[in-house]
Amino acid sequence: MKTIQKRIRSMPILLTVPAFGLLFAVFGIPMILLFLTSVNAPSFSLANYEGFFAQRSYVLILFQTFKISLVATAFCLIIGYPTAYLIAIAGRARPLLMVLVFLPWLTSALVRTYAWTVVLGDNGLINNFLLNVGLIDTPLSLIYNRFAVYVGMVHIMLPMMILPMVSVMVNIDSSLMAAARSMGARHLTAFLRVFLPLSIPGVRSGCILVFVVCLGFYVTPQALGGLGDTMLSTLINSQLTTTLDMAPTAAAAFVLLAMALVVLSMAGVNLASAHGQPGATEQKVRASRFPLFSNLARYINELGVSRRAKRWAGKLYQGQRVTPWSQIIGAGFLTIVMIYLLAPGLIVIAISFSAGEFLEFPPRELSLRWYYSFFNDPSWIGALWNSFQFAVIVSAVSTIVGTMAAFGLSRCSTRLRSSLTMTILTPITFPVIVVGVAVYLGLARLGLVGTSTGIILGQAIGAIGYVVVVVLATLSGFDRRLEQAAMSMRAGPTQTFMRVTLPLIRSGIIGGALFAFLASFDEVIITSFVSGYAIPTLPLKMLENLKQQVDPTIAAVGALLTLLPVVWLVALYFTLWRTRGTLQKTTVNPA
Amino acid sequence: MSFLINRRRFMQATSSAMVAGALSSASGRALAASAGELRVNFSGGNAGDAFNEAFLKPFEAETGIKVTFIKADFTSTQISMMVDTKNISADVVMLGQTYVDPLAAKGYLEEIQYSNWQKEELEALPDYAKQPNGFASYVYSANMVYNTKKFPADKPRPTSWAEFWDVEKFPGVRALVTGERGGGPWEEALLADGVPMGKLYPMDIDRVFASLDKIKPHIRKWWTTASEVLQIMRDNAADIVQSYDGRALSLIDEGAPIEINRNEAMLMTDYWCIPKGSPNSENAQKFVEFTGRADRQAAFAQLFALSPTNEHAFKTIPDNLARKLASHPDYASSSFALQSKWYNEIGPDGKSNKERLVQRWNEWILQ
Repeated sequence: MKTIQKRIRSMPILLTVPAFGLLFAVFGIPMILLFLTSVNAPSFSLANYEGFFAQRSYVLILFQTFKISLVATAFCLIIGYPTAYLIAIAGRARPLLMVLVFLPWLTSALVRTYAWTVVLGDNGLINNFLLNVGLIDTPLSLIYNRFAVYVGMVHIMLPMMILPMVSVMVNIDSSLMAAARSMGARHLTAFLRVFLPLSIPGVRSGCILVFVVCLGFYVTPQALGGLGDTMLSTLINSQLTTTLDMAPTAAAAFVLLAMALVVLSMAGVNLASAHGQPGATEQKVRASRFPLFSNLARYINELGVSRRAKRWAGKLYQGQRVTPWSQIIGAGFLTIVMIYLLAPGLIVIAISFSAGEFLEFPPRELSLRWYYSFFNDPSWIGALWNSFQFAVIVSAVSTIVGTMAAFGLSRCSTRLRSSLTMTILTPITFPVIVVGVAVYLGLARLGLVGTSTGIILGQAIGAIGYVVVVVLATLSGFDRRLEQAAMSMRAGPTQTFMRVTLPLIRSGIIGGALFAFLASFDEVIITSFVSGYAIPTLPLKMLENLKQQVDPTIAAVGALLTLLPVVWLVALYFTLWRTRGTLQKTTVNPA
Repeated sequence: MSFLINRRRFMQATSSAMVAGALSSASGRALAASAGELRVNFSGGNAGDAFNEAFLKPFEAETGIKVTFIKADFTSTQISMMVDTKNISADVVMLGQTYVDPLAAKGYLEEIQYSNWQKEELEALPDYAKQPNGFASYVYSANMVYNTKKFPADKPRPTSWAEFWDVEKFPGVRALVTGERGGGPWEEALLADGVPMGKLYPMDIDRVFASLDKIKPHIRKWWTTASEVLQIMRDNAADIVQSYDGRALSLIDEGAPIEINRNEAMLMTDYWCIPKGSPNSENAQKFVEFTGRADRQAAFAQLFALSPTNEHAFKTIPDNLARKLASHPDYASSSFALQSKWYNEIGPDGKSNKERLVQRWNEWILQ
């Protein structure tokens, strides 16, 4: 035990071994085999890649996939950053707001996509309202176009953007902002030059998560989009069903991955940059990138110095005061975002109480029949229980393995970290359908297809990626000198970790675990391959229901999934957020 | 509260599910090898419930074989991987008709042993149903379906695909099936362009897309799954659509203002296939034979409107129900059958017509 500890201390990279071992066995080996298939091994030719690029439509769809993902990510950022900021400074309302951000994620994406057709449809809520008010004569085309695709995708991805940003922003020491202001910086300046740079790691990991997951989307664009709003995964999916030749499909998948890697390396996956003083490097980059702009700004700034100096002296002793206007605007913005996030879920809940055979909104009659139908059907309950168990085990495994990996990664050289992080993200960067095929091949080799172990391993490889991204983001804002201080006070490595590191990055770990839980609980494509349909999970059962016979049982499931977690999130609040608050106080106050 | 009350039942149901799961995972192969088991795959939903009643339960009762019902849609890729990795999780699978030949050609499917079947039943079955590697026990059709409020009986109603294409005479919101998976509105496009039902195949792909060009701006939704188009009809978001008949009938039975136009209907089938190397292939053969019987097919058709292939089956089906079925003799002259052979013909470039259609579709949607 001691020797292992020592070795890990000297080579923190060893902490990533479990994660990579798992990834390699379940996913890496079959991916290599798939790659060999795509180059027609053993004769080796690029025929499949040439074939891909020779088809104009493929290239256009590839380009379009990127454009849609990029725009969706940009929307998520524009909406998500102010939301995350407002949540981070919300004080006591923060846990509640976090719960509200999470809620929509708990309703199956498939069901929520349907809810959007209720809102945006030709006979939907918006059109009916506008028609009744008399603003329009004919329904607006709000659905089956690119606009609807963005509405649906941003809605699904927004929590994934907000969470990493909040977990970073919460850890930004508010005294830094106060310090900046006490030195005469205005609110905006303090925000731009102190808060924003410190929050960049969260922005980055949020954007990366959202972008890579968007790349693999296909259900939402298919359901809400028009004819031309195809993404590459739709294409790969149709290839898998129309031809038995895996080689062109594999080639298409690797093209998508290659493009994702190019974009990611340009954006910089350097998730845990500049330990200790993350602000300093960011500032340097910002200044050097826009020299002209910053010089101009400085010049303009100089003009107002004397006036500001006067005001500063006057304001210095007024203390922090938030103007009512900014509060109202902030609250208004949060309300709109929350309505956007929650409306589809509420519609699903309303639908679940309908008495009819089909999904209808608003329901003409109310009844609980679909809840009875859920609780009286052992196959639904069995599927729910299976999913719950898998999600608990998967989140436990991936949180431990992922946090270890994130630690190892945060302590190795920048370049190595980038490429290793990229590798660990492949199960979520890759089109999920191809991951399904690869994982199936990998697990079949180990004789694990159709077993619980197989499903857990298949889901864990993706979940680890989520944990690593979130924990790594938290670690980047983490001041390692605190650890060094503890060590200098003769705390052992374990003690340091348990008493200093863990409490400080706990919100990141909890966030990661939650991501992992939900990723597992909602996973359908990989599971459908790996389970061989021998072990039903809730999403599989829901998918079958949605494909074959849409009835409101699925809305009842969606409603239950939304409401039940409220209970345990509230419990979580009372056990964790509370203790965390006191901890922070005790750690901050002595300093 | 209700959740708490239900907890005990919850635990009971789930713990038994757990045990079952653990058993099947621990000794899946051992169990499968014993004589008394069979895993059958078919769609879920109402059709699945009907299938369970008409086929699975009686089969279990007659043979004593324990049947597991797998409600799912297997793709060709999944079946090929199952066979390649010798990890077969379903002994009888249901496959759409154009998927059978490519899998059979690569040796992924067992041959169906018609020699064991009763002569009387075998003779009542048409040739298209009795393929070497698959057996079709039901027929369904892709039809034009319209809203009767939009097109009431006292006004002209669209009756042919040419009229579906005629957006001036029959204004209304339209929906067609997507072509991204190889099947698509191809035959309908040709019919709309004036090709007679008997001369559709071999299909002229250029002509298909030239015809689709004309209707493209008027299609509100190109649907992917049958439940999607039904929901569109149900929400009154479309007036005239292409849909499968069984699905539309379930809406009509619900009281929805919808009618099926049986003229120029495309008859389609699914096949029962046995993946190569199935550990229960003997039982699987028995089951496929079971699905060919007239009495079972009749029972099934009365529970869910999928039409029998065994002609004796119609004898026991009441006339009002029989008229709901796609292969009713009255509709024979106004329908045509989808020819999967043409779809799977390989051209000089090594691509099947189906692959060619998908490729063309992908270019077309971006235009």
